[in-house]
Amino acid sequence: MMVCTGCALLCEDVERYDGEVRDACRIGTAHIRNRQQINPMVDRKVVDMDSAIKGALDILSHAKRPVFVGFGNSITETQQTGIRLAEKIDASIKTFHTGIIENILNNRVKTCTLSDVRDYADVIVFWECDPMNTHPRLLSRYAYYPRGEKRQHGWEEDRIAITIDLRYSHTASICREVHKIHPGLDADFIDALIDGLHNKVPKTTYDKKQILKLAGTLKKAEFGVIFAGTGMTTPQDAIIRLMDELNEVSNFHILPMTPGYNLRSIAAQLHGRADSGIDMHEADCILCLGFDLLNSLPVHEINGKMIVIDPNDTISSRYADVVIPCAAGGVDCAGSAVRMDGVEVDLPRIMESERISDASIMNQLLEAM
Amino acid sequence: MRLQFEEFLAAPECKIMIVTYPDIFQIEAKLKYGKFSREYQDLSAIIMLDSGDLKKIGIKDGDPVAIKSEGMNVVVTAKESEEEHPGIGYMPESVWSNILGVYPVSATVSRSQQEIPAIDELLSRSVS
Repeated sequence: MMVCTGCALLCEDVERYDGEVRDACRIGTAHIRNRQQINPMVDRKVVDMDSAIKGALDILSHAKRPVFVGFGNSITETQQTGIRLAEKIDASIKTFHTGIIENILNNRVKTCTLSDVRDYADVIVFWECDPMNTHPRLLSRYAYYPRGEKRQHGWEEDRIAITIDLRYSHTASICREVHKIHPGLDADFIDALIDGLHNKVPKTTYDKKQILKLAGTLKKAEFGVIFAGTGMTTPQDAIIRLMDELNEVSNFHILPMTPGYNLRSIAAQLHGRADSGIDMHEADCILCLGFDLLNSLPVHEINGKMIVIDPNDTISSRYADVVIPCAAGGVDCAGSAVRMDGVEVDLPRIMESERISDASIMNQLLEAM
Repeated sequence: MRLQFEEFLAAPECKIMIVTYPDIFQIEAKLKYGKFSREYQDLSAIIMLDSGDLKKIGIKDGDPVAIKSEGMNVVVTAKESEEEHPGIGYMPESVWSNILGVYPVSATVSRSQQEIPAIDELLSRSVS
């Protein structure tokens, strides 16, 4: 048995037998079986590991405005060391898509575990997320198909799935109700839904009848769950407002569909921590930890030297000044991680390799600085 | 290269709002073959358009289209959606979509004769 780190569900029932991966989804199988390995590099020339770490130290020791980015695809132990290193050199740490987690940690919205969803949830809303494409086993293990303690009839009778999204997603195809949001008009949809929850006919461009029907379904929920896409364009304050209104008339919980397998952990560790707040564009050194910054940011927006620590070849690693390859958490390096619902999970190592863990690399950097 | 008559005419444009989406097959291709692979590019550098919008700009499924947003432009393959969504284009989350800006992005789409740029070319263009 192993824990799959292909997504934040951290499925612990995956088996690896004779090189074959059993019971993992399409993403998990590809994640466990394949590596796009990189070599240690300095100035885009292949070097040995010691030289790459020395190159990184050289950049970090001269940095005046360092920024660390990513951390969502690293084991908890690496994140802890990364935070200590950031504190030592006064670096800012940037993580992305942690808005809903922040609201959960601040007790602004009610949440639950995935086991609670399996056992009790009767109304499940997929809000601007498509788990069939991002967290493929969510529906079969927890959210929709399984029988639970209070949901013995499963999806056939006991559960209602609803999608609220900008497009008709694959997940929408199994939902009883599908509502399409117009791009940029998410907050209007929430306002209309809140009116509906108060039995008012909403003043909206959306189909009023559909909104009232949705409000009626949500109000009848015994145990409702909203799976919220973390890249959702809906303003955070609108989500909090909706959750407050829902919990006045019903019982609703929210769970963020986090990208990366350990984003929840770094968000919790950084919660309430003072940050130097250096802007990414002003940084003279950017350390990417398990994160492909250039996938989402054009090169011209980066001015500092770039260090990449990653198990795989990425766009950022091709442009980085220093590249340090590392082992992948839960594959060739053991550790721990926090599932998308906040449950801590131990990650055993399932494969021998010569690669060193990112925790060990961060430790070497911390001790040498 | 043979020039065609249409190249001398201004290509008709269509205003759209672009929204990104996740695609499990594209994520699998990234993990299996890497971000610089042809397999990943073929599943990433695409835009799903409404059949009416395809007609407006005079192209068919599989033709290249130029997408222009504020300051940035990119050429990708147009795909015809099975569902109707006039005025909205869906792109998989990738460097080809992210280079256009923060979503939802307002853009214009038109016919193109250019080839789909590989990641290296796309990023080197964004530096200059």
